[in-house]
Amino acid sequence: METTRPARRPAAAAVRSATKVYGHATSGVRALDDVTLDLPAARWTAIMGPSGSGKSTLLHCMAGLDTLTSGTALIGDQDLAGLSDEKLAVLRRRRVGFVFQGFNLVPTLTAGENVTLPFLLDGARPDAAWVDQLLGTLGLADRKAHRPNELSGGQQQRVAIARALVTKPDIVFADEPTGNLDSRAGAEVLGILRHAVDRLDQTVAMVTHDPTAAAAADSVVFLADGRVVDEMSDPTAQAVLDRMKELR
Amino acid sequence: MVALTLRSLRARARRLLASGVAVVLGVAFLVGTLVLGDTLSANFTRLFNDVSAGTDVVVRLGASVGSSGAPDQDRGLIDSSLLNTVRSVDGVATAEAQVVGYGSLLGRDGDPLGGNGPPRQAGSWIVDPALNPYELVEGRAPAGPNEVVVNRGAATAGHLALGDATVVQTPAPVPVTIVGIATFGGTDGLGQTTWTAFSLGGAEANVTRQPAKVSTLLVTARPGVDAATLRERIAAALPPDIEAITGERLAQERTDAIAADFLDMLRSFLTAFAGIALLVATLTINNTFSITLAHRTRELALLRIVGASRRQLRRSVTIEAVLLGLVASLVGVVAGLGVAGLLKGLFDTFGGALPAGGLTVRPTAVAVGLGIGTAVTVIAAQLPARRAARVAPVAALRQEATTELRPHGRRSITGAALVVAGLAMAAGGALASALPVAGAGALLLVVGTVAASPAAVRPLAAVLDRARRRSGGVSVHLAVENARRQPRRTASTATALVVGVAVVTLFTVFAASLSRSVEEQVDQGFAADLAVNTAVFGGSRLSPVLVDDLRRLPEVEQAVALGVGRARVDGRPGEVTATDLDAISDVVSIRLRSGSLAEPATNDIAVDAGTADARGWAVGSTVPLGFTDGATVQTRVAAVYDGTRLLGSVLVPAALWAGHTAQVADRTVFVQTRPGVNAATARGAVTPVATRYGGDVQDRAEYAAAATGGLDMLLGIVYVLLALAIVIALLGIANTLSLAVHERRREIGLLRAVGQTQRQVRAVLRCESVIVSLLGTLLGLGLGGFLGWALFTTVSDLPGFTLPLTQLVVITLFGALAGALAARRPARRAARMPMLDAIGAA
Repeated sequence: METTRPARRPAAAAVRSATKVYGHATSGVRALDDVTLDLPAARWTAIMGPSGSGKSTLLHCMAGLDTLTSGTALIGDQDLAGLSDEKLAVLRRRRVGFVFQGFNLVPTLTAGENVTLPFLLDGARPDAAWVDQLLGTLGLADRKAHRPNELSGGQQQRVAIARALVTKPDIVFADEPTGNLDSRAGAEVLGILRHAVDRLDQTVAMVTHDPTAAAAADSVVFLADGRVVDEMSDPTAQAVLDRMKELR
Repeated sequence: MVALTLRSLRARARRLLASGVAVVLGVAFLVGTLVLGDTLSANFTRLFNDVSAGTDVVVRLGASVGSSGAPDQDRGLIDSSLLNTVRSVDGVATAEAQVVGYGSLLGRDGDPLGGNGPPRQAGSWIVDPALNPYELVEGRAPAGPNEVVVNRGAATAGHLALGDATVVQTPAPVPVTIVGIATFGGTDGLGQTTWTAFSLGGAEANVTRQPAKVSTLLVTARPGVDAATLRERIAAALPPDIEAITGERLAQERTDAIAADFLDMLRSFLTAFAGIALLVATLTINNTFSITLAHRTRELALLRIVGASRRQLRRSVTIEAVLLGLVASLVGVVAGLGVAGLLKGLFDTFGGALPAGGLTVRPTAVAVGLGIGTAVTVIAAQLPARRAARVAPVAALRQEATTELRPHGRRSITGAALVVAGLAMAAGGALASALPVAGAGALLLVVGTVAASPAAVRPLAAVLDRARRRSGGVSVHLAVENARRQPRRTASTATALVVGVAVVTLFTVFAASLSRSVEEQVDQGFAADLAVNTAVFGGSRLSPVLVDDLRRLPEVEQAVALGVGRARVDGRPGEVTATDLDAISDVVSIRLRSGSLAEPATNDIAVDAGTADARGWAVGSTVPLGFTDGATVQTRVAAVYDGTRLLGSVLVPAALWAGHTAQVADRTVFVQTRPGVNAATARGAVTPVATRYGGDVQDRAEYAAAATGGLDMLLGIVYVLLALAIVIALLGIANTLSLAVHERRREIGLLRAVGQTQRQVRAVLRCESVIVSLLGTLLGLGLGGFLGWALFTTVSDLPGFTLPLTQLVVITLFGALAGALAARRPARRAARMPMLDAIGAA
């Protein structure tokens, strides 16, 4: 395994020479083409790129939802290749958090149950004080017993973030977490993620096409045609927008 | 997009196929039943035609006590001197007398051959080959009184060869030597009947034991004289109490008798179960159509937007149902032929009662299968089609693809009202023994239960959830929530199982109650120490000599025989019990209502209270009894007793019976041992005597077990027949789960992303299936248990209702297990579903 560059923080997750081909090995679509990327711990990395650039594929492969055609994907120092479906599932529930764009919550479970779902699946008991603290921080203390269909879109997304954070995972993967929200609710979600990174030392990787959302991150990785084409530290919405225009 | 459409179409094809399977199974069962019935009927007709093929006219006693199809039990003997009268009639070519009676041939090992349905006959060998359906293949015709010809099937089964000595029980044991072996139309015999043929003189001496008396005269006509004309001429020459019929008519009579006795019963019995299977199939199809149409709400709404009318939508669904029904029914018909072949094979192997021959496929059977299968499918699709057509065009624009089906308040209330009314009616009808009222109540109850069942989902789910909280498994929790999120769907999925389990439970409870009431009666009535008995379905008879031999044993205080036979009681054919009226109370506890059994006169009989009440008889009433020999005796009712299973409903003095019956036989002998003789000693003394005459020695418990043994066998058959209905119901559950998986693929994908393992995905589905099955099983148990009580109370005026707890627990466990099994395939598919597709569908 290659050592991380000393100037940077240790990586919470990484890919090395990651290639993902859909369909035939040589003639198929190359969604990822030899991507090597570290996601530094306690940092928030946004992944951007035009549609079809491979950003969602990268997220899925890094998170163990999909497998690489070749190359290595790591969570901490755990190589995802060769893990059985069962081991991957256990790894996801213990070491990874997820926030998706739309369909995030199990409709039959209450908000509280949705938050503690990774523990429930693990047959473990969550730390009640920590869960309450988390719900309090996210403004969900009085929504614990509600079902998803009784919550607003913003509230639902906050419940999803709470679930992603509750296990204090190595990394939280967020796929367009603000995509379905109005700007106020979107800002709230970004604020919460920022808080998680700054106060809880949480690592976050977020796929987005919204420059405003990307600007909330610590750095932005730009993807085009399955390759990393650029990186930007301390991004602003304008700088991201300009860079994106060039990529299209 | 094209791929997506194709995939959804494929998914739908699979759904349709699955509901088609329900129709296929139901139709296969129905067609199998019909074809089996036709086949058996055709084979029996051919067989009986073969038996009397060469015979133009048959002469026999005019009076009969019934038409049981067993000639020797219905009709007495005629004088053999009539043969001369017949031979002198113009147009008669040949005429020959024949004796036919009961005779159980023992094999080389001393065990009786045949039985269990097909008759065991002994009689006289017909010398004229034109009249004899049997032909000798080895040896010669019998000449001496103890020489016999046996059919090849019996010889093979008993390892008997020419020159072997064995015994025929007629029912008194007769030592015989085998001098010939015969075939029947080239086959081993007349079905599985055993046939032991003496010479005519030998048969008169050893079978009927009435010299110069024969069963029938068989006549052939001279060329050019037709059977009908000859019959008229012969009839004119005979005394008025003797009748002549054509051979053709005799074959027809026998065919009709077997149809009435056996085939019609078998047909309606099997058809009833085919009906249950089809009902369950209907419920399953109805549910599948409801769900698939709910999935297509947006598609249908879109059609409405572009201008399709409600009628058009409804019609398109109906056409789909017709097509599905037709295709499935066609497959079902083909499968039905296989079922018929299989059933026939089973009968051939185990029953052995049926004649050989290929399947008879009549167009009606095929038409009925196709028609009913299609009709059932179309009917099942009507309600869902109506509901689907009601979709508002605007639904196409809504996000939500499926509507959540909550329990319908009004429906639940109506259902509950029907349940209460049905319970009251069924219970009232049962207690008053009014079958129509009880039946109507039962129907209301079933409809009400089905209507109200969604309301039962939430309470059941709540109970399960509470249990879960103690053990704390998230899979169970998810499953419970899934089951209760659409109570109507969960309930209607369970409905098919409710019906299946209810019928299983009904029969289980009914049979157990019947068994217990029989046991209780035996317990109360069995005053003897031992009984020498014959198997209920064995058709064996005991020699009247047996009871005398038993009486002679020093260990025996008293032995009383019971014989059962047919007679005309006050004009109506029925069964009577011949016994020693004076002594019967020594061995059977009889509660007399009135009169006395002591020192009865020759013509005194006793009747049970039920018969006395029904016919308006009391002590002193005169009852004409018609016997097989054609005589009618005016008897007097000497006593009226409380009915008991140990005795029949009419007790006739043994001497009176013997005076009018060709082959006197007993069925049971009750034995009272002398005081001071212990049970083992008594049994040791009685057993060798009983065995000599082919009887089984039983104590009270064994006698009771034998009396209910047939019931257990019947229940076993019923279970096998109901298994199909249960399988259809489980297919329905599996089908619904598959649809649910398809519906929840995003949710399953999300859970997988958050860390649910494949095993956990499967566990959730399995658990959900178990919940549905449990719901169906528990409702079915309740319904069936109550209906079992109602049925038993209606038809039986005796106590003994019992809930067989062990069996009910087994049914419940089986239901839960079957639910887990039904979930196997859908669960596996759900677990293997690509996660990203599922999430990507967002």
